[in-house]
This record gives sequence, C-alpha cells and structure tokens, in this order.
Amino acid sequence: MSAETALPPDLENGPTDEELVASTIQGDLGAYDELIRRFQGRLYGVIYHLTSNHEDTNDLLMEVFDKAYRSLPTFRGQSSFYTWIYRIAINRSFNFLDKRKRRQGAMSLNELDEDGLPKLDLPDVSPQNNPNKSIMLNELQNKLNESMLKLSKEHRTVVTLFDIQGLAHAEIAKIMGCTEGTVRSRLHYAHKQLQKSLGIYLKK
Amino acid sequence: MNQKQDFSELQKLLQLKRLETPGKEYFDRFVDAFHTYQRREILQEEPWYAKVVEVLFEPWIAGVPRLATVAASAACLIAGVAFFLGPIQSGTAHLADGKMAHPRGIVVASAQTNESLQIQPELIDTAAGGDAAELRPLYVNGHGAVAYDSRLAF
Repeated sequence: MSAETALPPDLENGPTDEELVASTIQGDLGAYDELIRRFQGRLYGVIYHLTSNHEDTNDLLMEVFDKAYRSLPTFRGQSSFYTWIYRIAINRSFNFLDKRKRRQGAMSLNELDEDGLPKLDLPDVSPQNNPNKSIMLNELQNKLNESMLKLSKEHRTVVTLFDIQGLAHAEIAKIMGCTEGTVRSRLHYAHKQLQKSLGIYLKK
Repeated sequence: MNQKQDFSELQKLLQLKRLETPGKEYFDRFVDAFHTYQRREILQEEPWYAKVVEVLFEPWIAGVPRLATVAASAACLIAGVAFFLGPIQSGTAHLADGKMAHPRGIVVASAQTNESLQIQPELIDTAAGGDAAELRPLYVNGHGAVAYDSRLAF
C-alpha cells in the first residue's frame, strides 16, 4: 500500500481528529503536529495530482496547514475535520491553478513542453533493472499525466479522490460541496476523456 | 470488452499515480519544515492592504484582467471616494462660532483653527447629563461617537 493511502499507525487507537482539534484550540501544539502527520500524505497526494509539480505541492501543503491552523477557532464541527481540511486543500489548489493558468501566457518557451503544457515534475517510478520496461513506464507516466492535465480541475479532482485516493462518492460529494450524482457524472465524463487519450495503452 | 471493464483497466492505470509520492524522509521532516514556515510567515506577515492590492492587481500583473476584477476594483474605488468625500461635502455648514454643522450631527472641530478634534466644554456638560436635552450617539464618517445636541438640529 502506498504512503498516500496508508493510515497512520495510531489512527485507530489514538485520539480522534475532533479530540485533537479540541486540544489544539486549547493550546496543545503537539496535537496539531499529530493532525499534520495524519493528513500530510493524503493532502500531498490531492494537491500533487492537481498541480503535477512537487515544489508547488510542498508550498501549497504548508499554506493549507497554516490556513487550517489559523482558522481552527472558527471550525464549528458541522463537517468532520477530514472533510474540512480536504476542502481547504482543494480550494487553495484551485486558486493556484487559476493563477497559473492566467500566468501561462507569460511563461517562457523553455518552461513549456512541446504540447504547450507546463513541464511535469515526475519522480522516477520505473524499475532499475529493465531499461525497456523503464522507458515504456516513463512514456506511460508522461501520457497519463498529460491526459490528467487536459481535464478540467473539477474532473481531475474527482479522478484523484476516487481512483487514486479511493474515497467513496459520498465523501467526495461532501468535500466538493456537490451531490453524489454530480460526482458520478463528473467521474463518468472524466473516465471517458481519459480512456479516449489513453486508449492505446489499455488492454483490448 | 464492455465500457465498465474498460474503466477498470483505466483505473488500474491511474493507480500508477499512487507511486508519485516523495519518500518517507520528506514526511518525517515535514512537521519541522512546517514550524519553520509558520515562524517565517509570522515574521513576514503582509499588512491587510498589501493583500488587497495583490488580489486586485494580480490579474493585471499577469496581463489578463478579468471582468469581475475590473468591476470589483471600480466598485472599491467608488466606495472609497464616497467614504472619504461624501459626508463632509454634502450639506455641511459653518456655524458662527467656528464649528461645523452637518445634517447628521455636529462636527465639533473648528474648521479654521487647527485640524485636531476639540470637544467644546458646553457639549461635554450636555453629554454628561447637565442638560435635559435629548441626546443620542452618532457616528460621523465612521470615526467614533459624537454627542448630538437636538437643540441644534436643522
């Protein structure tokens, strides 16, 4: 299981998120550190799959935890902390993407790849001992990210939350503030688009 | 192969993206890095007006102002001008003793002598209940309460 989906070891036995939130509000900074440890991997994943850049993801993740910390006194517990902080992460990422989109016109040519998309910052996930497989995997990874970036940010978000992070439709609907029906329809549309562009890599 | 099976193949492919994550060391150090970030943010915190300027002008800096931003900027400008100029210019009158009167209250500073706000002794006396005149607090130009003397109403 990847770091993104693995639950921290003390999540089942330790204090709940809401207890940690209450302790943080009362001044226990260690409680907030614990909340950060619980959510850093998953939020990193969401932001990264929306921005496709590790440096931007790192900056945004810091901003998200900072914003959440400052806003904790206004957190009324109407939704779970989990939903609330995911929503902050997605809103921040959307704002960042809008800014980036507006600035793309001002980007120099060497910041763009041949398709006019921002250069992707991809970690090497390929096996070390098989060069051919490695080349194919890299190509596939590039194509996959390229296809994801062609989706709208809302469609990319549902794909990230459902297919990559494994959240349920109902949870995604709460995070995105829409109905489950909307989530399903966005997911269906996104799958169709991705399938169209990745068709040659899928088994027939 | 039907549509649903096609999607399941796609989903398997998408799961490859789970591997695009930094190593354990990154997450081990993240909390410390966050503390450093927070300290830096507190020390370098921008004043509120710098944030307003950023929100308003960022689209121009990027070269693509949006209609909503243009409209919001124009509204802010008009509201700002109205706030600073509106109450002073509309219906103010100079009284014989050098005070300035306004339909919504009395501006107790003399317009001629200096710019400081000076409370006249008789108004303080009135506000303290020394007179039976009906008083109610009034905010002039958003800067604070000024005693209102109903005898001077016009």
